[in-house]
Amino acid sequence: MDRFKPRAEDTHGELAFSVVVPVYNEQDSVVPLCDQIRAACDPLGRPYEILLVDDGSSDRTPEILNDLARRDPRVRPIRFRKNYGQTAAMQAGFELSRGKVIVSMDGDLQNDPADIPRMLAKIDDGFDVVCGWRRRRQDKFLTRRVPSIIANWIIGRLTGVRIHDNGCSLKAYRASNIKSVKLYGEMHRFIPAMATLTDAKIAELVVNHRARRFGASKYGLGRVWRVILDIIVIKMITSFGSRPALWFGLWSMPFMLLGGFLLVAFAAFGVGGTPEAWLVGSTSAFLLFVLGANLLSLGIIGELVVKTGDHPVRPVTRTTVDFLEVENGENEHA
Amino acid sequence: MAKTNTLDFRETEGTRPERAVELSVLVTVSERPDDLTEVYEQYSRALAAAGMPYEFIFVLDGPWPEALDQLRRLKQLHPEIQVVKLNRWFGEATALAVGFDRAQGSTVITLPSYFQVDPAELPRMIRAFHEGRADLLIAWRHPRVDSRFNRLQSWAFRSITRFLTGTRLHDVSCGLRIMRARVAAEVRPYGDLHRFLPLLADQRGFRVEELQVRQSPRDSVRRVYQPGVYLRRLLDVLALFFIFKFTKKPLRFFGLVGSALAAAGVAITGYLGVYRLLELGPIANRPLLILGVLLMVLGVQLFSIGLLGEIIIFTHARQVKDYEIQDRDDD
Repeated sequence: MDRFKPRAEDTHGELAFSVVVPVYNEQDSVVPLCDQIRAACDPLGRPYEILLVDDGSSDRTPEILNDLARRDPRVRPIRFRKNYGQTAAMQAGFELSRGKVIVSMDGDLQNDPADIPRMLAKIDDGFDVVCGWRRRRQDKFLTRRVPSIIANWIIGRLTGVRIHDNGCSLKAYRASNIKSVKLYGEMHRFIPAMATLTDAKIAELVVNHRARRFGASKYGLGRVWRVILDIIVIKMITSFGSRPALWFGLWSMPFMLLGGFLLVAFAAFGVGGTPEAWLVGSTSAFLLFVLGANLLSLGIIGELVVKTGDHPVRPVTRTTVDFLEVENGENEHA
Repeated sequence: MAKTNTLDFRETEGTRPERAVELSVLVTVSERPDDLTEVYEQYSRALAAAGMPYEFIFVLDGPWPEALDQLRRLKQLHPEIQVVKLNRWFGEATALAVGFDRAQGSTVITLPSYFQVDPAELPRMIRAFHEGRADLLIAWRHPRVDSRFNRLQSWAFRSITRFLTGTRLHDVSCGLRIMRARVAAEVRPYGDLHRFLPLLADQRGFRVEELQVRQSPRDSVRRVYQPGVYLRRLLDVLALFFIFKFTKKPLRFFGLVGSALAAAGVAITGYLGVYRLLELGPIANRPLLILGVLLMVLGVQLFSIGLLGEIIIFTHARQVKDYEIQDRDDD
């Protein structure tokens, strides 16, 4: 079993950077992808590695990955037993990476590896997280881009991390920073917001985005509801993750106040009114009180959970976001 | 844990094989055991036909005086058998776990303590396992030879399981399973979830396959259980459904159900409000009003319980591992 745990020497710092690419049924893309990454990164002259996390592909991806690794020791394939999803693949890549900086990107060639050097330069400038912004997205407008614009706007408003493109996989992180953020569920879409938990300095960079050449898109419109719920969770965790009693307490306030108001109103004026009004009013008031009290007690349980957990309890701080929208030379690689 | 409570037969330790054997055969004696002497004779004959060195382990789950006597006699005749007796009834899941801990073989076979499948099918099953790529191979009793009542309840159980977990296996709860030692080491069934061992293995990313085998004619006794048993089975499947689907995203479930209930509550209350404003009649005496308001309360409750679940997951995310790695480079 020990073989499958991250080893001590897997900690960051050995290499200059690691490129982490989750791949799932991408047999046609991985070879050109690797070639492009090498073409972009070799001129930098820094030691790096390419971690290809195979998320339980059912096509020929595993053999191709092994073949790539045989020919180039910098390519490290990691194979999941079955399909666990993109967040798990990224998390595994992060945990097993050995670079001081981690660059994540999609395995479908829609991200352009030629953007990697610019992202690394931003990290060198002192930022902890550099997010790609697919300003000229090559996706369907109505089903992919409109929901994304709305979601990014809401995430920005709620979490205070106002970047344009949370969903872009091409991102660079300082390893010491991102490794302290544990990803789970489908949180890879919200890494910038999650990174605020570690007081990260975040920058945004316009990156190239290319139309899909191979394979099919693995997302659809049917995930709107799930994204809404995820946004609520992100808001709660980034703002109140260490103080759930505060969050639940705030939510119980309107119920309690409304209940109290109703009760006073009906006690003062309702006695003279019809029995019907008295019944409806007082019952609603009592129920609102019950609800508020319930929320409050849930908050207290939440507080207990957090106290016994392993995320450090610390005050919430605002994270600075740097809007350096560097235009890139899209024509160079188009 | 039950392990500390195990009472070994004294002579068991001495005869326990030192070297790793190829096959570990595990029989848990939990409910409705057939004559264990006959069980052993038939199984060992079939295993001898398979032609592999094996160890035979009986785990006696609780005080079954009759079974205990049979095992004592069996142990005198065949001292190489290992017998573990649990000092009270712990349930089959625990018995299996105890057996898994003692198993030395690289392959583990679990067998029921009664005739469920035709023992003559064992060699074929073992061969299929060694030739195939599955990590766990489960028997599928097909075609069924037992009573229509048995088949009906099996069919109902299978349909519910398939509907809730999406499994394509036909006979999930069959007692005959062959698995790699690694599956036995990693998959720890608890409670009543041993019935779903193949699904738990599948969840951890192991390759699970099934093989059609002849059902034993002795399996055809009409089985009628207490109503509580049926209820427990249903709850087990439901528990599995939640474990598989929502443990990592509690708000997905609670949020969905909560908002649906709250929306229904708002609709009902809104309808009554309009009804009252149009002066169609009094509403305070209508139970529908209480229902509507309570639905809203319940909806908010469920939603916030989902949020609390999310906090728990976030706080303990470090212990939660979302994936199992099959291979990685070890340069």
